[in-house]
This record gives sequence, C-alpha cells and structure tokens, in this order.
Amino acid sequence: MDPARTPLGQMLLEEITPVVMVLSTPSVEEACLKNGLSFLQMLTPFCSFNNIDVPVRTASDQPYRIHKFKLRLFYGSGVRKPDLKVAEEQLKQVITDSGEKVFSELCTDVPEINHELASSEDRNTPSWFQFFNKELVRVASFSDHEAFDHPVACLLAVSSKDEQPINRFVDLFNTNKLPSLLNDGTMDPKISKHYLLVHDNQDGPTESRASKILTEMRSTFGTSDCLMLCINSSPDAPIKHQVNPWASQISDTSPNQDLDCFLNIDDINEIKDLMQDLTSKHIIPNMEQKIRVLNQQVSATRKGFKNQIKNLWWRKGKEDGADSLNGPTYNFNSIESQIRVLGDYAFMLRDYELALSNYRLISTDYKIDKAWKRYAGVQEMMGLTYFMLDQSRKEAEYCMENAFNTYLKLGSLGQQNATRCGLWWTEMLKARDLYKEAATVYFRICGEDILHSAVMLEQASYCYLLSKPSMSRKYGFHLVLSGEQYKKCDQIKHAIRTYRCALSVFRGTTWSYINDHVHFHIGQWYASLGMYDVAVKHMTEILACSHQSKTTQELFLGDFLQIVEKTGRTFEVTKLQLPVINISSLKIIFEDHRTFGSPSAVNTKEGLWHSLEEEMIPSFTAAKANWLELQSKLIPKKLSQSNVCVAGEAVKVNIEFRNPLQITVPVSGVTLICKYSTSTEELTSNENELSLKTDNEVDHFRDMSSGNSSFLVSEVDFSLGGGETTMVQLSVTPKAVGTLEILGVRWKLSGAIVGFHNFELSHPKKNIVKGRRKPKHPPNEKFKFMVIKSIPKIQGSIHSLPRKAYAGDLRQLMLELRNPSEFPVKNLKMKISHPRFLIIGSQENAKLEFPGCLTKNIDSVQSVTHANPNIMSDTVFSFPVDTSVQGETPLLWPLWFRAAVPGDISLYMSIYYEVADISSVIRYRTLRLHYNVQVLPSLDVSFQISPSRLRIQDFLVRLDVVNKTSSESFQVYQLSSIGHHWEISLLQPPDAIFPSQTLMAGQAISCFFTLKKSRRLPTLEYNISTTHDRSDDVLLVPQCSQDLVYNTNNVPLVNFHHYERLQQKVSLENLGDLNTVDFVLISRPLNSTINHGLSDSPHVMSHHSCHLSTSSTGPISWLVDGPQTLHHDFSASFCEINLKMHLYNSSGVTVFVRIDTSDFDGSGGHLNSVNAVQSATPDNPAGWHDVTPVNELKVTSNALETQPGKALSLESVSPYIWSGSSSTNLHLEPMSSAEVPLQICVFSPGTYDLSNYVLNWNLLGDSDEMSKPSGKCQGYKYYLTVLQST
Amino acid sequence: MATTACFIIVSRNDIPIYEAEVGVAAKREDAAQLHQFILHAALDVVQDLAWTTSAMYLKSVDRFNELVVSVYVTAGHTRFMLLHDSRNDDGIKSFFQEVHELYIKTLLNPLYLPGSRITSSHFDTKVRALARKYL
Repeated sequence: MDPARTPLGQMLLEEITPVVMVLSTPSVEEACLKNGLSFLQMLTPFCSFNNIDVPVRTASDQPYRIHKFKLRLFYGSGVRKPDLKVAEEQLKQVITDSGEKVFSELCTDVPEINHELASSEDRNTPSWFQFFNKELVRVASFSDHEAFDHPVACLLAVSSKDEQPINRFVDLFNTNKLPSLLNDGTMDPKISKHYLLVHDNQDGPTESRASKILTEMRSTFGTSDCLMLCINSSPDAPIKHQVNPWASQISDTSPNQDLDCFLNIDDINEIKDLMQDLTSKHIIPNMEQKIRVLNQQVSATRKGFKNQIKNLWWRKGKEDGADSLNGPTYNFNSIESQIRVLGDYAFMLRDYELALSNYRLISTDYKIDKAWKRYAGVQEMMGLTYFMLDQSRKEAEYCMENAFNTYLKLGSLGQQNATRCGLWWTEMLKARDLYKEAATVYFRICGEDILHSAVMLEQASYCYLLSKPSMSRKYGFHLVLSGEQYKKCDQIKHAIRTYRCALSVFRGTTWSYINDHVHFHIGQWYASLGMYDVAVKHMTEILACSHQSKTTQELFLGDFLQIVEKTGRTFEVTKLQLPVINISSLKIIFEDHRTFGSPSAVNTKEGLWHSLEEEMIPSFTAAKANWLELQSKLIPKKLSQSNVCVAGEAVKVNIEFRNPLQITVPVSGVTLICKYSTSTEELTSNENELSLKTDNEVDHFRDMSSGNSSFLVSEVDFSLGGGETTMVQLSVTPKAVGTLEILGVRWKLSGAIVGFHNFELSHPKKNIVKGRRKPKHPPNEKFKFMVIKSIPKIQGSIHSLPRKAYAGDLRQLMLELRNPSEFPVKNLKMKISHPRFLIIGSQENAKLEFPGCLTKNIDSVQSVTHANPNIMSDTVFSFPVDTSVQGETPLLWPLWFRAAVPGDISLYMSIYYEVADISSVIRYRTLRLHYNVQVLPSLDVSFQISPSRLRIQDFLVRLDVVNKTSSESFQVYQLSSIGHHWEISLLQPPDAIFPSQTLMAGQAISCFFTLKKSRRLPTLEYNISTTHDRSDDVLLVPQCSQDLVYNTNNVPLVNFHHYERLQQKVSLENLGDLNTVDFVLISRPLNSTINHGLSDSPHVMSHHSCHLSTSSTGPISWLVDGPQTLHHDFSASFCEINLKMHLYNSSGVTVFVRIDTSDFDGSGGHLNSVNAVQSATPDNPAGWHDVTPVNELKVTSNALETQPGKALSLESVSPYIWSGSSSTNLHLEPMSSAEVPLQICVFSPGTYDLSNYVLNWNLLGDSDEMSKPSGKCQGYKYYLTVLQST
Repeated sequence: MATTACFIIVSRNDIPIYEAEVGVAAKREDAAQLHQFILHAALDVVQDLAWTTSAMYLKSVDRFNELVVSVYVTAGHTRFMLLHDSRNDDGIKSFFQEVHELYIKTLLNPLYLPGSRITSSHFDTKVRALARKYL
C-alpha cells in the first residue's frame, strides 16, 4: 500500500507543508473584504496543487518530480503558538455542534449491533472525528522545537491604493512587527520575500497607477520577486460561482448561502496562476537551494568519522552544563537546528531518505544533550519518515512510542505534542490494520483534559470494533468509559449517543451490573434532556435489580418514579419487571359442572375427585347422548371442547407476584384483561387479529382494559414488602352468554406506571389445573371460555366441623346446602371419601340430642333397623327423592364425625345434583367440599389376650390405656366387647383400678378382664350374618353416677365400628369369627381442663379394637392338668407322675393333632429356645434346675448346691424323661374336646418345667390337600415341684 | 491479600455464573459495575488467547489502569476470571487450580445444571477461603 494514500499519509502531506507568512496592508484587506473574505482566505484555496509537475533535485543528483503540493499560509500574527484557551473553546464548540447534529439523527433510529457492524466502515469514524483530530494537531503547531512550521517564504502584499507602496513594503517586514519566533532566533529571519501588489479593479484600470508602482517595485526589490494581482474585476453585479472554492474556508456561514463575489473567472485564474508560479518557481527552488546549502554544511561538520569523534568528545565536555528540562536552547544557526531544518525541508520535499539520515544524526545529539522535547520531536519525525518510506514498520512504531513516551515525560509541556504524536501513531497503526494496538494508543492519549479523553476513548472503541476479529465487548466498555467522560463535561448528548451504541453490545447479556449501569444512566440523561418517554423506557429495564444493594434499589426506583411523575401521565408498558409475575404459578379456576366449596377443594387433584364421583355421575357416553342430542346444533364441535363457564359465576385466576427488591413496593389495581365477544365466530376471527396486534401490545391492552359491560373484573391492591411473594386471586365474572377470553393481567406500580403481562404470548406453556380433560388444547384455548347461561349452583358447608380433634372424638355435625338461584335442583347424591371419619346420618338423627342418643335408653330396636341399610350402602348416599334445595331455606342434613386415627386427615365430599332445566348445556353439577382435620393422639388403647390356664374356654384380657395428650384428662368410661358370644367381666371392682376416676395426661393404666365364651348361644350362630352383633358392656366407673351405658349397637357407633372392622382387617385368617373379639372403649373427656385449640370440647370418644384373636396358638387350645407339688422318696425309686392334657378344637373343622414329647438329650432343633439357650451356656448356674426350695432342702454348701446343675449339664443327663408315648395322634371334631394322658419320670427332687412338647396340628377341612393350614405349638410353661419325702 | 479482587466464573455462553468480591478493600458503590465492565471486556482478549495455548492458566490477559485480569480456562471453556491489583502470579495460579477442583465437584452434582448459576453456599465459602489463602 502506498503510504501517501493512507489517511495518515494524506494528513502528513497536508499538514507538514511549507509555511508562507503573509503580511498585508489594511487596504489590501479592505479590497478583499468586498468579497467577504480576508486576503489570506482568498488565497488559501489556491495553495494546494494536485497536478503540478515540478522537478526537484535535492542533495542527490537524481531529480524527481512532485505532483502534489501544498502551501500553508499564515498571517504574521498567526506565526506563533496557538493560544491554548482559544483552542480549547474551539474544540469544545466542535464537539458540541457535532453532538447536536449526531444526536438529532440518532433519535430517529435505534442502533442495532448487526447494523452497526455492517456499516461500521463509514459509521464508526464520524467525520467530526477527523476534523477534531486535525484541530488537535494544529494546537501543537509552531512549536519551537520543530522546523516544518518555519516560514519558508514571506508574501508581502500592498494595495495599489496605498500611499508610497515601496515604503509600505519595507514597513511590513519591519522586525518590530514580525512574530516573536522570528525575532528571538528560533526561526531564521532571513527568509525569501515576495512582493505582491494587489490592485482592485473597481478603483480603476490597471495601467495607470498600478503598473507604475510595479515597475518601481521591480527596480527596488528585483524583477523576479515582484508580482501583481488584480482582483474584483467584475464590474458591478456580484457573480455567483457554481462551485464556491471558499466554502470550506468560511465555516460561519451556511454552505448554500452564496457569497457576493466580485471576483470573476479571470481573477480566480489569476490568483491560481500567481500561487502556482510562486510555488513552482520560487518556493520549491528556494527550498532546494537551502537543502543543498545545508547539506553541504552538515556534511562538512558532521559527516565522516573524524567529525563524529569530534562531536562526541565535544558533547561530553558540555554535559554538566545542560541539565534543564528542555536541554540547551538552540539558535536557528546552531548546527543542530540546521540539521533539523534540513531534515524537515527534505521531508516537505519528500526526500525521505535525506530527511531520515538527518533526523538520525540529530536524534543522538539531542539525546546526549538531554534536550528531550527536541529529541521526541525528532523521533516523531523519524517514525513518520519510516512510515512514508514504508519500510521497517517496527522501527517506525518504536520511534513513535519513544517520542510519545518522551513527550509524556515532559508533563504538561509536552501534552499537546504527545496528543499529536499519539494521533499520528494511531493513524499509522490503523493504516496497517493494527486496530487493537491503535485502540490502546488512543487510550494512552487520554490526558487530564476530560473532553479530549472522551473523544479519544470513543475513537479507541471504534478501533476495537474494527479490529479483526472484532472485539465488541471492548468496544462497549470503551464507549461507556467515553460516555462517562462526556457526561463529566456536560456533553449529555454525546454521552447518550455512546451509551446507546454500547447498549447494542450489552443488550441481552446477563451481566447484571453492566446492564443496570447503562440503562440507568441513559434513562437519567434522557430525563435531564426532558425526553421522559425514552427515559422511562430505559428505566423500566433496571427495576428488577435484586442483586443491587438496598440503597441502589431505592435510588433506581426513586429516580424511576420521579421520571414517570415528570411525564405527567400514567405510563403503560408491557414488560414491567416489577413486581415479578411467577407465571408457573398461574392457575385458572372455573366452574363448569364441577363446583367447589372452598379454595382447598380446588387445589385437590382432579383424579381424586374423579375417583370419588365415578359412581355418582352419569357415564360419559350417557351424558353425551343426553345433552349432545339436544345441543349438537347449537354448539360447534370445536367449542364443545373448550372450557365452559357459567354466566354470573366468577372465573378465578390465581397468580403469584414476587418482589425481587429489598424495599416495599405498592401495587394497586391488579385486574385481569379480558376479551368478550357475543358470538363464537367472532372469536375465531379475532385470533388472527390478535397475533397481528402483538407489535403494539400496549395499545391493544389499553383497548381491552377499557370498560366492557359484559363482564366484571375484580381489582386487588396490595403492598409487597422486600422479597415477599404474594398469591393474588383475580376474578372475572361474565354477565352474558358468549365467549370470554382472558388475555393477561395489568397492574399499577406505585400509582404511576401501569404494567401489562400477557399470559399467552409470552409463555406458551401453562399450568392449567382444570384443563386435564383436554390436554391437547391449542394454547389459546386454555384461556378461552364459552359462557353459558346461568344455572343453579349449590353452596354447601359443614357446620361445626372441628379443625382439631382428639382421636376417637365422636360428634354430630350438620351439612348445610343452599341454592341461591330460583331454579330447582333434583336427584341429589353424596359421597364421602373417608367413611371411617364421616358418616351420613339420616333425617331422623337431626332430631336426636347428642350425646344422649348414644345411650341405651333409646329404643334399641328402632335404631338397629336404621343402622343396617346405612352400613350396606356405603358407596353413594342418595338423598330422598323429594329433597329439594331452593330459595332461602337451606337443607340441613346430619353427619356423624369420628376422629378415627391421629394425623392430618383430608375429608373429601362430593355432592351431585341435576339441573332441572333440560335445555342447559350442563345437565348436572357436582359440589366438591374439602375439609382438613387435624387429629391429635388421645388414648392409646391396647389389648392383650392370653388363654387362661385354669379353664379351657376362658381368656384373660389385659387392657392398657395410655393418655398420649399433653394436657387433657380423660375418664375411661366403658368397655364393650362386640361379638356374638363373648362375655366380659372385670376382675377387680372399678374403684380399685381408677381411684381418681380420671386418666391424667401421660398417665397409663392397665386393668384386667376375663373374657369367656357365652354358653347361651347355639354353636352355629356365626354362620349367619354377624352384623347383628350383641355386645357385652362393662362400666369402668363406679355406678354411683347416673350415667348410662352407651349402646355400641346404636346408630353412629355401630357404623363406625363397621368401618373400623374393615380398616383393621389386616391379615385375615380364615379361622372364622369365632376366635376374634372386638372391643370398644368409650371414654369421656373431663371438662375441668381448658380446651384451647379445640373449637368444641368433645363429649364422647370411642376407641375401637377389632379382630383381636383369642387363639394365639391356632385352632386348638390345650391345658395340661396334673399335680403342682408332690412328695416322693427318691431313695426308693424314681418318681412317675401322670399328667392329663385337655385339648379343645375351637375351629369349625376337624383338626388332626399330634403331640410330640421330647427329652433334653436331643439337642436338636425342636427344642424350644429357652432350653437351647440353657444347653448352650452350661456354666450358667442360674438355670431352671437350680430352683430348689431352700426351706424344703437341708442347708447345704454352695458347692453342693451348684453340683447337680454342673453334673447335669456336663453329663447332659435330662432331669426327667417323658415316659408315656412319645407321640400321640388324634382327630378332634369341631368344637369338641379330648383328653390325652401323659407321663413323666423324675429322678431327683426339684422344680421342672414341662414345656418341652410340641403340638402339631392340621386342619382337615373339605378343601384340597395343598392349602391345608397346619401349625406347630410349643408347650407352655408348666411347673411341677417334686420334693423329697421324709 | 489483595486490596481489590473480583472473581467471576463465566460459562461458555458468556454468562456469569458466579461472582464474588474477594478483596479486602471497602466496596465502592461503582466498583461492582466497573469490575464487571473490565472483566466483560477482557473476554474479548480471552477469546483469542485461549486457543493459542494449551495451558489452562492464561496469566494476566488484560489490564485497565492498575487492575489486572488473570484468566483460567477450563477444558469445557468455562472461564475463571480474576480482577486483581496484586502481582502474585503463583498464588493466583494455585487459587485457580483449587477453584477448578471445587468447580468440578460442583459439576459432579447431579442436581447442578452445567452453565447455570452456582448458588451453593458451600462453594462460596470455599472460594472465599481460598482467596484469603492465596491472594
């Protein structure tokens, strides 16, 4: 790439060009001002030549040609360092102007990142950047350390009008008026002068005076240096030029305003020719001349080995003297300055090789002299020369960096130069596509001046964007940095512009702090410009800033509300982030044929209700046949699948609002947005419309929310504390038949801003509770309802159902049903999920007084007849046919409640009813009630039944009652055994068991009963229905009180008992009912304690224990009968004892029994565990055989006492042997008993446990062999004491 | 212990999944966003640099004024980025390695969805302890 064609090359060709000092008289200026131009301005456009062809020969003999050239013209007063303050102001103005311009463009379009990248080439270097950079470079011009700003020539202009023009010329170049730089010796004052006579043609023709002066001038100053220029040739009327060459010069006037110009084409051509002549014939040859002279001089003094050594030695010598920051001052005629001038002239004439060699030469000198500024300047020029030569890129960059750093080291002195150097450096890097490096350089240019650094940062950001691969994040970051700087110097518009550009990078990122920062500041700045609408738009982005600190949240929200307030109207936005809507919590509750008694019923799974209602509701096909026949013409198929709701009944929507902030947020006016249409066809057409309208959702919603009389929406206000979540129920009540669609929700935040949330469009996945039946809905269908005309709806509740109850608590409740509509309902049915807890009573029960009705003085016959049908039809309860619920009077129906088991119990009830109006879409409805009851443990009742060893049909019952409550006291009142042939009686009088008659909290008691088989009933009674149970009751309180015995065969108790029996039937053995017994323990709480937590103190509590088996050993029971103690003289012989075993078969079938006796020597597996343990631990002296009564035996030594045991175990001799038959087989008929004789032999005195026998039994029923139940029973302990007879 | 240290784990989708200010310096109000800005911008550099070396620890990749960004790239292209003002190269390396171990343990959690935000308080306390130890 040709370096001259790069932006930097062009810049250098324009900026580093020979300077011509212009000195003019006031009358010259006057003449020019007729055109609205100064003399300088008039000449300037003709100072750059694009196609001249000037041969140049500098130091080398080889001439080359220059095609493009430019001169810079300055007035004498301009040849000095620019005033910093003025320059600053000027730069600021440039920025402000461009800010206004760009901003107005920007407001119309929103930058997109793709767009940005596509058009980055032209966009990202806005024109004003270049202009700004140029201005910045100019600030550093006319520095004393550089030579390219030294005027190479001086143009003296005198008007022909002036008096004594020759003297004027001399005066103009008076040293007093010359710029200080020339006078103080920095610049060479001996510059070539050119004398120009300016003649205004309006003053008269040239010939007369002007030409006379010209000849005079020529004779005075020499022929070649005198020129004449005629201007304003246009006679009277101003000429309008097609192309105004001065347009770029005069920035104040607008470009399309034409200057009144008295310069005609001839004048312009004359100026052009004049300047070209001046350049090609005078200035360039002059410069060539000077270069040659200087080059010779330099070669003579500095080139060659000898000179270098001399130079070095000479420099070293004066080292100590030069220690100031700038190093020594150099005069224009010092050799150093001359080398520099030589280099710069060569550079300007594009002999870069020559320039470079000179720069190199001088650079070391300056370095040694510690003339840092000059050194930096030379380094800078070296870098540029390398660049223009397009060789050694590294060297070029090194030089630039060196220069830049050196300038920076100088501090404020070198600041402008550093900036200029940096800009050139970046241009150099850009020209080589090193954008990333350029960006870092831009970043380094940022000095103390905030405005400059803002612009530099912005340029850096664009460099990042342009780098390959493009670094968009760096771009964004630097834009933000730049925007911040702009803000600091009140360039708000620029700040907004940069931030908006940055937004295109950060949009969609999850870097929360970044997003917040950018949006907040844009919002704030827009607000400061009064553009509140845009501000609000940005501020809404940052509302949900849960990650920020509380103060920041407050700041954000406060600013936001303030801005909204300033807009002066309630703002409406679709994506308001505050509060957050938890869309997954969205639930729509509507009642078609399912109606709900309480919110908790709604939350119950549909499947549960289904299983409950299965038996009640007509089957699906039947229902279809019923109403579709009638309605098929009215309802299109599509809508028959959509949701149905009833006019006048509310559709509720549960939705959760969450406040992500730590501060309280007031939310008001939360309503649903609904759409209503009267016909079904309209709705389908609206669907398309809806999808089209998504673009302007806000408007759409506003339309929707404006009042519609065909439905009512509820409005909810609430305040959300920090981090709180609130579930809100919103409802919409359609008033007429048609179609209703729920579109979304709207709310008002802090009374200022309205937010919308569209349910459907934003979140396609919904959790619809009631949509179970039709899971393949198109998403919109879920929010669409077919509104049908109003039908009756029954409301129901259970009165006085306790929320908490103690286990066993028995109550009478009342179900109340109301029908507020005037239409009657019929065919009421009801089902309860837990008949164990809740039993439907009968109408008669309502009149009964509770708990008096439980006692036995009610005629038992009547209640029994009522009890039976209830137990049988436990599935669905149908109300009597004539039951009707209508109008004011509610239907009351008694229910019995009993808290069966501790725990949290959910009771579900479903009431089915049919709508009398046959034309309705919905023929029947169900009312679903749901109640939760917490059942606390009260009494823990356990029974233990063991067979009595005294009589074969008797049992000993131990009742253990523990009061598990923490504070309640109970009176254990009555125990009833339910079964057809059991008699129960107390072993002790009740006073002995309950002295205080109460069971305190935590207290436990045991009492014993005997249970015997009633002899009164015939044996085969059990075969018939056993529901007609007899009960036998034992009062556990002294009969002194007038309390009566509770009848366990009465209505609620017997029903509950029935369900308890079903429930407790865990592992049913087919032994029949004969051996099982059910107990009901009735207790009463004592009213003395305070029942806090319980709504109503219980009256009666019943505890049921069912299927308690009396026959723990199987179908047979036996009793070993024999002597307990006997005396025998062992000295004579061993003792033979006869025993008798009574066997009884309590089952209904014949039992085969085998009795196996076993002796101790066989340590096999059939020994019982006690014996096995004893044989395994023979050292244990505490065996059963040691139990020798001390009083009977003579006192012996300890050794003697333990001897038999040891001897026994060692020798493994059994203390007794079974001497009868070792195995006896017999068949036992049902319900019969038998006797088996047994015999043992005992060899020594002692106490013996005769339990080592086994009874094997087999049931010999009619069933096949395989499934014959059989079992094995170990003998029970039977102690026999044999004493030595005296 | 570094005066300023901001540690961020960036998922492969350029989403920050864990952020912690682990420096001892009192937190400035604008520090959080500045740190995020610097780290976010440094991702550009990491993007290029990560493929030029096989090492996971990329040393310091970027700097802004006196703040340096050190980066560690895991095999799954999750980036651990530490913004710090201390020059403790070895410590930072060890810190990154230990955090990597912790991160892998987090990944092994079947309930953790890779690329989602790390909310484990255990992870947080461990990272802070490591920062105290190494930085």
